Amino acid sequence: MHKKLALLFSLLAGILCAGITTTSLADEASAAKVQKLIDAADAARKEAASVGGEWRDTGKMIKKAKALLSKGDYVAAAKLANDAAKQGHLGYEQAMSQKTLKMPSYLHYE
Amino acid sequence: MIGNTKKWIGTAGAISILAGQFLVTPAVFAAGSDAIEQGKKIAYDRKKGNCLACHNIIGAPSPGNIAPALVAMKSRYPTKADLRMQIWDATIKNPESPMPPFGKHGILSEADLDKVVAYVWTL
Amino acid sequence: MCRRHTHDSNTFEDGKNMKQLFRRLALVVISCSFITTVQATTPEEDLAVFQNFFKKRFPNVETEDYINGTYAIDPIGRENWEAIEEFPPYEPFIDEGQTMWETPFANGKTYKDCFPDGPALAGKYPRWDKEKGMVMTLPLALNNCRKANGEKPLKYKKGSINSLLSYLSYQSRGQITNVEIPSDDPRALQAYEDGKRFYYSRRGQLNFSCSHCHLQNAGMVLRTEILSPALGHTTHFPVYRSKWGTVGTLHRRFTGCNKQVRAKPFKAHSEEYRNLEYFLTYMSNGLPLNGPGARK
Repeated sequence: MHKKLALLFSLLAGILCAGITTTSLADEASAAKVQKLIDAADAARKEAASVGGEWRDTGKMIKKAKALLSKGDYVAAAKLANDAAKQGHLGYEQAMSQKTLKMPSYLHYE
Repeated sequence: MIGNTKKWIGTAGAISILAGQFLVTPAVFAAGSDAIEQGKKIAYDRKKGNCLACHNIIGAPSPGNIAPALVAMKSRYPTKADLRMQIWDATIKNPESPMPPFGKHGILSEADLDKVVAYVWTL
Repeated sequence: MCRRHTHDSNTFEDGKNMKQLFRRLALVVISCSFITTVQATTPEEDLAVFQNFFKKRFPNVETEDYINGTYAIDPIGRENWEAIEEFPPYEPFIDEGQTMWETPFANGKTYKDCFPDGPALAGKYPRWDKEKGMVMTLPLALNNCRKANGEKPLKYKKGSINSLLSYLSYQSRGQITNVEIPSDDPRALQAYEDGKRFYYSRRGQLNFSCSHCHLQNAGMVLRTEILSPALGHTTHFPVYRSKWGTVGTLHRRFTGCNKQVRAKPFKAHSEEYRNLEYFLTYMSNGLPLNGPGARK
């Protein structure tokens, strides 16, 4: 009976959108998952920094994600961590794309 | 038993996060005049679209002149998708374009980008 | 490719077809030198192209007037600025800096013991320090002097370093920017090249390079502000900015620019910013120094 109820409830939750299910995520397993996302974001940030490509707000986002995690707001924390990780990857990719100097075409060398 | 239930809920939650992210985009893409009005706000917002930093829009206060004025968009971009691509990452078409890649770099969320496209498409 | 050509020419028999051999060798020399110019440009070429770009963009602006930044190309802004310059907001900082320069350290020595030629120092920096293998900037040299005399180093962006720099820059007015890239140390050229690459590299979430605003779009209007030309950017630091309400250093300005494009700034006088200063100042070679300056 309990099992059935739980199944039904979780299915319902699955159909609904992210924001609504905030409270249903509250347990240690989720906390660990979010912590993993935060760690991944920080690794991505460091990778970008290692090639001089870190963006301005990535570190702040990770800090904020940590604060949200400790408050138990897992959904918001996870979203922010994912966004920060994306910034880390993009910053790294950007810096690598600029490794070889391409002089702009409007500068006219003979 | 209780542990099991929690696990289920946790998984469901994770799925719903994913589902939520995929669902939002098409839902807003189809939106009408509300989206256009919201798109205008985002376009004017200095911390979001900030289009006016570089582009003129007829009737807008203190626009920049770095980039072409936003007029006759429908004749410049055959489809809405072309316009969206330009705002998403202008360096695809022109590698030297100084325009920030609003979509690629997540400067605007995909949902906000759709609203901006809806608005700019009317210009 | 060049090596293969030389090898081919060696197959000629001695004494025979000498003329042809010479012709062939000459061709090799020409093609090799052509290849090197395509691969890399010299700082001298960079400088000429950079300054010519502005000559073409603003044909009516005298090169020397670029030391006045955006006011060289904005007559309305210039009027306001000239009014401000009648009672220069940086003046108290110059006086304070003079006091700093003359006041002995705890050990009884002064800055003059480190810099015996006196306070007109700005034209000597940035310069390549062969011994340390790095670009030496004036603020770094000042702090090295302080450390050598048992004093705490000054902060590089805000605070009293700006007074000292205001005095030194004022004393250096009229000196001509003349950054040298010594040919006897390849690391110097590398530092210049690194600074150049920094200048033309996109960075931050907004994906701008320095050159996007201050070269490609110099003189254009960003919202309500005219983008200042890169040429002359280094001549007037430290600068009193109305926005700051005080005098600030060149590296503080670098930091601000990087933040604006949503990149994480580097530390003041980090290798990145030192090399950037080396390149950027070199691009203004030939322009007189006119610091401290006043800007919006």
